[in-house]
Amino acid sequence: MLAKTSPEIGGMGHPIKRKEDLRFIQGKGNYIDDVQLPGMVYGHMVRSPYAHARITAIRTEEAKKLPGVLAVITGEDLAKANLAWMPTLFHDKQMVLATGKVLFQSQEVAFVVAEDRYTAADAAELVEVDYEELPVLVDPHKAQDTDAPILRDDREEKSNLIFHWEVGDRAATEQHMKSAPVTALVKAFFPRCHPAPLETCGCVMDFNSATGKLTAWITSQAPHAHRTVFALVAGLPEQNIRVISPDIGGGFGNKVPVYPGYVCAAVAALTIGRPVKWIETRSENLQSTGFARDYHMEAELAADTDGRVRALRVKTLADHGAFNAAAQPTKFPAGLFSICTGSYDFSQAFCEVDGVYTNKAPGGIAYRCSFRVTEAAYLIERAMDVLAQELKLDPAELRRRNFIPPEKFPYPSPLGWSYDSGNYQGALELALEKIGYDELRKEQAEKRKRGELMGIGISSFTEIVGAGPSHTFDILGLKMFDSAELRVHPTGKAIMRMGTKSQGQGHETTYAQIVAQELGIPAADVAIEEGDTDTAPYGLGTYASRSTPTSGAAAALAARKVREKARKIAAHLLEVSEEDLEWEPGKFSVKGAPGKSKTIQEIAFAAYTNFPQGMEPGMEAVHYYDPPNLTFPFGTYVAVVDIDKGTGEVKVRRFVAVDDCGNIINPMIVEGQVHGGLTEGLAIAFMQEISYDESGNVQGGTFMDYLVPTAVETPSWETGNTCTPSPHHPFGAKGVGESPNVGSPAAFVNAVVDALSHLGVKHIDMPLSPWKIWQILKEKGVTQ
Amino acid sequence: MAIKIEKNFQAPESAAEVWKILSDPRSVASCVPGAQVTEAVDDRTYKGVIKVKLGPTVTDYKGEAHIERLDDQNREIELIGKGQDVRGKGSASMKMIGMVRELPAGGSEVVTISELNVVGILAQMGNRMIQEVANQMFEQFSKNLRQRLQQQASGAAGSAVPEEVKPIDAGSVAASAVLGLFKSKPKE
Amino acid sequence: MTSKRAVDITVKVNGKEHSAAVEPRLLLVHFIREYLGLTGTHIGCDTTNCGACTVLLDGRAVKSCTLFAVQANGRELRTIEGVGNTSALHPLQEGFKEKHGLQCGFCTPGMIMSACALLEKKPHPTEEDIRWGISGNLCRCTGYQNIVKAVQYAAEKMSASAPQA
Repeated sequence: MLAKTSPEIGGMGHPIKRKEDLRFIQGKGNYIDDVQLPGMVYGHMVRSPYAHARITAIRTEEAKKLPGVLAVITGEDLAKANLAWMPTLFHDKQMVLATGKVLFQSQEVAFVVAEDRYTAADAAELVEVDYEELPVLVDPHKAQDTDAPILRDDREEKSNLIFHWEVGDRAATEQHMKSAPVTALVKAFFPRCHPAPLETCGCVMDFNSATGKLTAWITSQAPHAHRTVFALVAGLPEQNIRVISPDIGGGFGNKVPVYPGYVCAAVAALTIGRPVKWIETRSENLQSTGFARDYHMEAELAADTDGRVRALRVKTLADHGAFNAAAQPTKFPAGLFSICTGSYDFSQAFCEVDGVYTNKAPGGIAYRCSFRVTEAAYLIERAMDVLAQELKLDPAELRRRNFIPPEKFPYPSPLGWSYDSGNYQGALELALEKIGYDELRKEQAEKRKRGELMGIGISSFTEIVGAGPSHTFDILGLKMFDSAELRVHPTGKAIMRMGTKSQGQGHETTYAQIVAQELGIPAADVAIEEGDTDTAPYGLGTYASRSTPTSGAAAALAARKVREKARKIAAHLLEVSEEDLEWEPGKFSVKGAPGKSKTIQEIAFAAYTNFPQGMEPGMEAVHYYDPPNLTFPFGTYVAVVDIDKGTGEVKVRRFVAVDDCGNIINPMIVEGQVHGGLTEGLAIAFMQEISYDESGNVQGGTFMDYLVPTAVETPSWETGNTCTPSPHHPFGAKGVGESPNVGSPAAFVNAVVDALSHLGVKHIDMPLSPWKIWQILKEKGVTQ
Repeated sequence: MAIKIEKNFQAPESAAEVWKILSDPRSVASCVPGAQVTEAVDDRTYKGVIKVKLGPTVTDYKGEAHIERLDDQNREIELIGKGQDVRGKGSASMKMIGMVRELPAGGSEVVTISELNVVGILAQMGNRMIQEVANQMFEQFSKNLRQRLQQQASGAAGSAVPEEVKPIDAGSVAASAVLGLFKSKPKE
Repeated sequence: MTSKRAVDITVKVNGKEHSAAVEPRLLLVHFIREYLGLTGTHIGCDTTNCGACTVLLDGRAVKSCTLFAVQANGRELRTIEGVGNTSALHPLQEGFKEKHGLQCGFCTPGMIMSACALLEKKPHPTEEDIRWGISGNLCRCTGYQNIVKAVQYAAEKMSASAPQA
């Protein structure tokens, strides 16, 4: 289907080396903290130590007196300009600086600006705040109790319930639950974790009072959306706001929301008249910016005795913290969680989610999971294993019996999705072959006789990415299309600007490869630009694995528009009619006379020097792509673990990841993405949690306690692919960046539970720390 | 976060001598590192301050202590203290039961059972840190108390207004606390 | 920066001497990034865990966020800017590019500096040596696998062109 290009052109499928690497390996990246503007000053946030308290006074005189301090802004100051609150990306509002009361530990209370960052930090220490402690709510299960403290007195409805959302056929599902011969239940908690990209969030706000223009350098995964939000919130005309996302040191969803620090820095820049830089510390990042997950889930399966599933019933309690700052499409308060029927053919399903407020950091952002898909995939994959255990069926076999067969695609899921394509069986078989499944099961049986603990965990996940079609998707009203603007120069080189924004995904290379594929211009000759809202076409940014499905599609279609114009020019140059021409990447030739041809470079030159009369000169095209559907990458992951009985430590012996993301642009980059996502899944499964004690103190608020795996803990990942293109995508691609984070937690947990299933263990909640495992081993009497 | 701390120490002085100090909040305060009684609201309620320094962070707690129960017969005191950092860095509350027992071979034993709850920046350091800081503070407290007892025994002038004792510098406390975590110590 | 109690220091950075008057509490990483304008060294945490700030002090890999600038007085510092250049990449830099050892690039300078120090000590490291050698550097993007390959590439290339000064 896809034409083959030469390695010199580097179209689809070529593992060409990344063009962006040159500056990074020399330490010449331009990250937010590298931005230096003349006269720049620094901001530092004063934060609340209490999870819930009334502010009775704030004294800033001492701080203001410190030499070098230029301003101390409080919520009261912002309130005068109607900026004390701002909208979140999910139709709630969030305090920029606390007014009246604070709702979570580390909440922003005051913003200090000084000549240098040390003075700003000193001054922040001198700000005095009087608090009256209020009762704290940290257990989401208690949020709706009659005696629960009501957290949001700014809301009309005095309740901690944010939303109740349901989808599916409740009655029909109940019927199956009652009538089915077999049911299996699992209560699975997905702990609160944090994307923790290595670079924290930050901004430099520069307001030019002479021109009235605000230049906002922001670590933003969605610069255009940020610009529009700023325009609406700050009342600044949108053409006078320029958002520049420089090089970003990792995003993973953490850099999608608009944070109070950005707004404070902008206000400071406007009032002080000098550029203001605000860079948060790691502690601030972990304790106040967009967390992920915190879903308390329950799944019940109804099945026949042969394991054929009939229905799925899901109930979830979502902990959103103090403000619903989830970055989620409007119609989906629980994101795309209703993908929880997974890769399996259910006749009925019902899913309900309740979202509540608690005294914790706000959010519920999409952490490398396309809006709650990790939670959903985890739940269904755990549930299938619980069912397999119940029926004493091999988990691979249970999955085989239930996969949606290839002929059923496009598949209408009982919860409303139309899966574009899939071949779950293919991915499973390849993964099992690569891991040597049958041998491993034999080994496990032998080891069990000797009392050794070894487990194999399978996760056959389905992803849902590329949000999304305008009929269903919008964020704050902005439809989720994306864009590409391609311009070819006279010498046949090109530049393409996108509405997305890479934070390490290799866009400067992969988008160029799309142009190479469509036009035959070598990828090395195509410059890619993202992130400057003054020049890039409008887009909704990069997260939820959406770049390839949306902007990538736009790039291909823009390139095809250019190709169509090129055909006309070629016909003119070769003095034939367009129908007489045939295309191969890089040139048009006359049918039957291959010697008569024009290269794309010659055609580009002609577009400026020798174009047909009446034709618009130049060679460029813009395309805004409204995807007709989401795409559904999938895969099977298999983990093999060994558990040390003495310490409870789990060692991942092997991990095979077979991914299917349709047609691949750059296999080297895809493999790198998979490695990274699997490592994040490993961390979540075994060592990460942001929890709160009963007073609302954050536990796990620094890298001392919130553990990131090093090269020592991380195993070697084995990867593979199958290829089931998306029928609706211009070049059959689906996106893959998030699959490894979506599919892997279940594989790890399934493996550990499998290792202990003969002892009667059915489920263990993450993180599977050695302490937790050891306690189970002790309880079962097998610590020796 | 709530932490339970049980500490005992022995003194050569008689239970009666020890009780004289332990039953007087002002005298007790004079032994707590960094603490000072600023006002006696009534004979059961006292206002005071305590300064704790952890590295570059100084927390000045200002609060109140109330004697819930004072049993001269059995030599038991129950105190509840609550304080907030003056700059707004957090709060702490503590319930402490102190008892003095006569030892058969002479001398006495002081037993304290405390429940400490910390909210704020210091609590983020985690249970282990607070436990160690509390340990170190109690070490200092018992040292100061022993000194006081000796002064009392040798007939040194009873101080009407206790002076402020140097605040515990939890920076060095923290350092030794961290080192302490790595040494294998028998549990007290 | 307000110069309260400024201390004069002289540091040799990437072969060139620099003098400045700094506050005693100025962190070395801020000295490098702001006084010297060498922004390749990054800050990724505030508890000395991440290693993004790794530089070589007198040849030893250190976390510059946990040292004061005054501690570097009279000593030699090597940062990522002192490792190779556009026309002559260091084998490690080549390795990272060839083996796709970076994605967002934020941990990369620190990784390269740690790897530099490792290869000095162990010119023929095993995979385990490499993993331990970079265990003080966190990466969120790559899962380390290709970083290991990048260091192996460099080790091979460097030992192939050895012996040298």
